[in-house]
Amino acid sequence: MNRDYNTLADDDFRGEVRAFIESRYPPELRFLPRRVRMDEIRGWWDTLYAHGWIAPNWPREWGGMGLDAGKMVIYLEELERHGVMRAADQGITQVGPILMKYGTDAQKSYYLPRTASGEIIWAQGYSEPGAGSDLANLQTSAVIDGDSFLVNGQKIWTSFAQEATHIYLLVRTDKEAKKQKGISFLLVDLETPGITIRPIRNIAGHDEFCEVFFDNVRVPRDTLVGDLNDGWTVAKALLGFERLNIGSPRRPQYALKRLELLARSKGLFDDAGFVDRYTAIKLDLDDLASLYARYVAQVKRGEPLGHDVSQLKIWAMETWQRLTELLVETGAEDGVIEGAHDFAGAEIDFLAPFYYARPGTIYGGSSEIQRNILSKYVLELPS
Amino acid sequence: MSSEHAALLKDSVTDFAQRGTDIARVRALRGSAHEFDRAVWRQMGDLGWLGVAIPEAYGGMGLGLAEAAIVAEGLARVLAPEPYTASAVLAAGALAASDNEDLKTEILTALVGGETVLALAWQETAGAIDASHVAARATPFEGGLRLNGTKRYVSGAAGADVYLVAAQSDSGLVLACVDRGASGVALELQPLADGRHFGTLELRDAVVPRERIAATGAAAAAALARALDHATAIASAELYGVMSRVLEMSVDYMKTRVQFGRPIGSFQALQHRAVDLYIQQQLASAVLEESLRELDADPPAARRQAIASRLKARCSDAGVRIAREAIQIHGAIGFTDEYDAGLYLKRALVLGAWLGNAAQHRRRYAALALTKD
Repeated sequence: MNRDYNTLADDDFRGEVRAFIESRYPPELRFLPRRVRMDEIRGWWDTLYAHGWIAPNWPREWGGMGLDAGKMVIYLEELERHGVMRAADQGITQVGPILMKYGTDAQKSYYLPRTASGEIIWAQGYSEPGAGSDLANLQTSAVIDGDSFLVNGQKIWTSFAQEATHIYLLVRTDKEAKKQKGISFLLVDLETPGITIRPIRNIAGHDEFCEVFFDNVRVPRDTLVGDLNDGWTVAKALLGFERLNIGSPRRPQYALKRLELLARSKGLFDDAGFVDRYTAIKLDLDDLASLYARYVAQVKRGEPLGHDVSQLKIWAMETWQRLTELLVETGAEDGVIEGAHDFAGAEIDFLAPFYYARPGTIYGGSSEIQRNILSKYVLELPS
Repeated sequence: MSSEHAALLKDSVTDFAQRGTDIARVRALRGSAHEFDRAVWRQMGDLGWLGVAIPEAYGGMGLGLAEAAIVAEGLARVLAPEPYTASAVLAAGALAASDNEDLKTEILTALVGGETVLALAWQETAGAIDASHVAARATPFEGGLRLNGTKRYVSGAAGADVYLVAAQSDSGLVLACVDRGASGVALELQPLADGRHFGTLELRDAVVPRERIAATGAAAAAALARALDHATAIASAELYGVMSRVLEMSVDYMKTRVQFGRPIGSFQALQHRAVDLYIQQQLASAVLEESLRELDADPPAARRQAIASRLKARCSDAGVRIAREAIQIHGAIGFTDEYDAGLYLKRALVLGAWLGNAAQHRRRYAALALTKD
């Protein structure tokens, strides 16, 4: 079992995390302007696992680090600071905590160790062609048939399903019940007969997400997590850190550094027009950092995050997008030539960060959905 | 200051905002030459607010900008016309950082008690946000200095009893006190959008006896620069108060105004507009809190300027935008003089421009950030 890191002084813990990351994280994988593939990051996963650090949020009895809120924030901050890419770690961030809360003893002892080791890699099966922002409209069905569920339907926008071994699914188990009421949460082995995975090429040219088809797929009943028809509650019980992490200023800050390198090599800091635009967006980012710091302090005090944290995702993602737009524009003709360009020794890719920032306002609840949430729960406007 | 004391101060300001003033008083004072209420100013002195950030040696509370911001934000929420920031933060701050102890004791004590209004006359050209722009001359004679020049955009000038004037001398910048109505001093008032005034001070051989010189040279320049940055931060707190109140008004209106048989706040186009304004207000809030904490730790001058500029840039833009869009959210009623939204817009416009607007502060911020690299 891991040591109890929570007894360390914050600075000592930070120092230990930083030293470990700096000495062990593959330098060629820092700050990639795209999602990282599992085959690229598997070595880092193994390094973290061997060190007992793959699951900072899990309790120590399950091989996690058992970090409290304050230490968890430090851990994530150090990963971000160094530009460590997130592996397909939904098993760690989502499935683990869900099983810890709702799983049976058998589910925990089977899935948790294998998820930590990376033997099982999870994909998220939530969205469907007719259930994106309106997730509760999902239609993929699971019908009880003896000791099994028979699953039929289609999931889409499933990131890296082609490298995953398992998928956690939201399925409809009661067609009569109102929307959220008839949904259940299942764990499915992607090797099960009847499953077809088809990668979808995105506008950046990457096969990051997939369609997953289920044709009479027979899933054991003991893979149901939580109660039948209670899957919506299970899926919603996620940690606040996920919502905080998505609003971190680190990724856009990295894009800003690229813009600064470019501007310097082109002498644009003598151009008042450029400086005005650059400064406005730099301040948007600096002010995001202040807002983020306020939420981090809230989490460190052990206070739960409210619906207002949605504003962080909106501002982080929209600022990031505007920044990458300015990067492409500043590149002029070079900005639309694919691949990395050399500017006075600095390597700058214009289009990759531009593409990378696009889905940020779509996934994890689109900017429009986040605005609906703020409107309803924070401003308390009528519906 | 402990959080309990901050809470007490906040309660006291809120109580005053609810019972000691109202918008009818603000409307009645619009455009009047005295601009504000002496009795209210004295009351603010009695409550200790005018001395929040003034050292205890001069009768003040010796607290920081975080506490001054509580007062400024609370007063701005109800659009109080009293020149709190201009007099008790900007002018008093410059004087308090000067080195003429007798003068400080005399004027600051009177100001803290609400007996005197002090205004700072430093600026000469529109768009100047740094003390280096001062061109008015201070020439020595055996008894002191003679001042010549034109000071513009003097906030709080309308009701000021004493002006703290910045001028250049052969020994560098000078800060000196000049009484209202003194020989060689002529005041002209320019009406502002929010019913208050900027003053233009014509100085023609205005005589300053030696004992009325507050500071000279590097000490004067440092005192002025520091006071400008601090007042920029407190003006930002005022903007935060204005934007917060007018956003509440807009959201409340959206919940009650019915069109097409439903409250207009149920329309998504308006909901998302309101959320975007809320995000701006929250950014301003986060930057304000962080900036005040940093400024109270008294950072070096360049850092202090960068903090003040970042803060004012956000608060000016957010304040003016939220107040401007409040007019749109309210529809035609928002465009009437009778409705209060317009008063908030006008105060936001004036505060947004005073001590440098967002564009000017972004430029200064960029200059500071780019020279640092």
